Amino acid sequence: MIFLYIGLPLIVAAVLPLVGKVSKKVLPDVLANGVFLFLFAYAVTGARPLLAGGALRQTFTWFGEPLGIQIAVDGFSLFLLTVIALVSACVGLYSISYMEHYGSKANYYALLLMMIVGMNGLVLVTDLFQIYIFMEVAAVASYALVAFGREHAELEAAFKYLMLSVVASAAVLLAIALLFGLTGSLSFAAVGEGLRRLDDKIAAGIASALFLLGFGLKAALVPFHAWLPDAHPSAPAPISAILSGLLIKVSGVYAMTRVFFHVFGLTPALSEVLMWLGAVSIVVAALLALAQKDMKRMLAYSSISQVGYVVLGLGIGTPLGIAGGLFHLLNHAVAKSLLFLNSGSVQQATGTRDLDEMGGLAKRMPITATTNLIGSLSISGVPPLGGFWSKLLIIMALVQARQPALAVIAVLASVLTLWYYLIIQRKAFFGKLNARWAEVKEAPFWMSAATVILAVLCLALGLFFSSVVSTWIQPAADGLAKGMGM
Amino acid sequence: MALDIALLVGLVLAAALAILAKDLIKAAVALAVSSLLLGIVFFRMSAPFAGVFEISVVAGLITVLFILTIALTKTDGEVQESRTALWIFPIFFIVFIAVDALVMKGLTAKIATLPAGPESGAFGDVLWKQRTFDLVGQLAVILSGVFAVLALFRKRDKDE
Repeated sequence: MIFLYIGLPLIVAAVLPLVGKVSKKVLPDVLANGVFLFLFAYAVTGARPLLAGGALRQTFTWFGEPLGIQIAVDGFSLFLLTVIALVSACVGLYSISYMEHYGSKANYYALLLMMIVGMNGLVLVTDLFQIYIFMEVAAVASYALVAFGREHAELEAAFKYLMLSVVASAAVLLAIALLFGLTGSLSFAAVGEGLRRLDDKIAAGIASALFLLGFGLKAALVPFHAWLPDAHPSAPAPISAILSGLLIKVSGVYAMTRVFFHVFGLTPALSEVLMWLGAVSIVVAALLALAQKDMKRMLAYSSISQVGYVVLGLGIGTPLGIAGGLFHLLNHAVAKSLLFLNSGSVQQATGTRDLDEMGGLAKRMPITATTNLIGSLSISGVPPLGGFWSKLLIIMALVQARQPALAVIAVLASVLTLWYYLIIQRKAFFGKLNARWAEVKEAPFWMSAATVILAVLCLALGLFFSSVVSTWIQPAADGLAKGMGM
Repeated sequence: MALDIALLVGLVLAAALAILAKDLIKAAVALAVSSLLLGIVFFRMSAPFAGVFEISVVAGLITVLFILTIALTKTDGEVQESRTALWIFPIFFIVFIAVDALVMKGLTAKIATLPAGPESGAFGDVLWKQRTFDLVGQLAVILSGVFAVLALFRKRDKDE
């Protein structure tokens, strides 16, 4: 019953505001985290055997009447479902303590669950229009969550995010309408088939360009990234983690990859465009990150840079490149969520996000400092952590594909990455303890627990990378490479 | 063709007025006019269901809600706005129309399309049986919107 990934969070979210009238904190915490943990357990134990026979399609009946609900799962979808479930489970645990002082927990969890519904739906659908609908579900929930604190800066960031996100949705919808007009169908397979029969370069080019604009905005690739450095830092820390760790990857990278690989087919020109978009994002965002004073803004720019790596890997289009891109997506989801959660812990303890005001926090917050170091090193690509292996795969794939220039860019940019992450470590956690923070305490239990789990994962992904790649990444890359047979 | 173009131009002008108007009532009415014109365009393009929904829900119901809300919240509807929009928008719009006209002139009648599949079944059948998943998605969008309003207009708790 893969449909649980959409149905269960939807039903729980619908009752949560009512539950919140009865129990302000305990029940919403239990219900929401129960859903997250169940979905994660199901992804790991129940859903994998389903895929033994290749891609899977499910249709539903309602009292014997066939319903028009059709979902499809292949390795790529299941991989994304697992990543979503994993990160949301950790973020849910973290929210138990962190969201105490925001109030209205039930509404917060309801919106968070709606975001998960949108993302899971987007990963499971088989038709273009449903991609648009579920993208909007996740987006509408995320606008409200960015503004959840209702301070001036948050509302402004949410408005900016809303405006640019609407442009993205409009571009995607226009592309879908164009394809529907051309081929008279909406499902991936039928549209792909129709495009091949028409063999019209101009129309396909216009639709591709519109998709690139829309999904590029959603994924915050340079030059479409203007909204992200405002939106991600303004949100509450767990939401920043979900936005950076999941949302830009699911409604940006996943949707783009699915459409380009399974509807249009990856042409050499498109592959070139994707690779350069990725490379430009990597470099520009890394340079911008170096100049930041605000811890969360630096992390936000880093997200743009790392999504650039993912798109670069997927854009190569060779099996090795796809595997590297997907593995980096997983590593970045885990490590970036961890770093955003830690920035929340620091902000809650000290009341500031300004790196210049911090200093020496490692003495007062040892767990946060240690987990932050692990996450930083993983993203920067330091062996033996996960990020090292995924960047290595991408660079090897670039060398194989005879793209030495891009390979050099990827290597040099990871040095930049290490540089700005060390700035965070040095300014926030190392050095002399600033007298102002003498009374600071370590983050509460649930917050620390979530970050420790994620840090252990960062280590595990690196140490057991070969089994991770063969169990999760390879089926996903195969699913992408051969299409769903839809 | 000329009538269609006139309708679309009117639609864009009304939509721009809805954003640029200082008075909220005028903005709400302009929005209603733009969606009314859109509804007519739908009818002319032989999409009667889309037209009916557009006119009844967007032009009718939503406008009523807006105007009720504006009437109930007795503030002076003047909003302080920057004046840049007044000159940036027309420039952008003219450039866009020029580019659009050139592109369309080059493309119209050149793009081949496949014949659309035959309409299968009545409107209700299509909505409830073939596109059921879209309805689940629609439900989710509406729920998200409701939760967003609940969250952003919540009362301050004691511990906030």
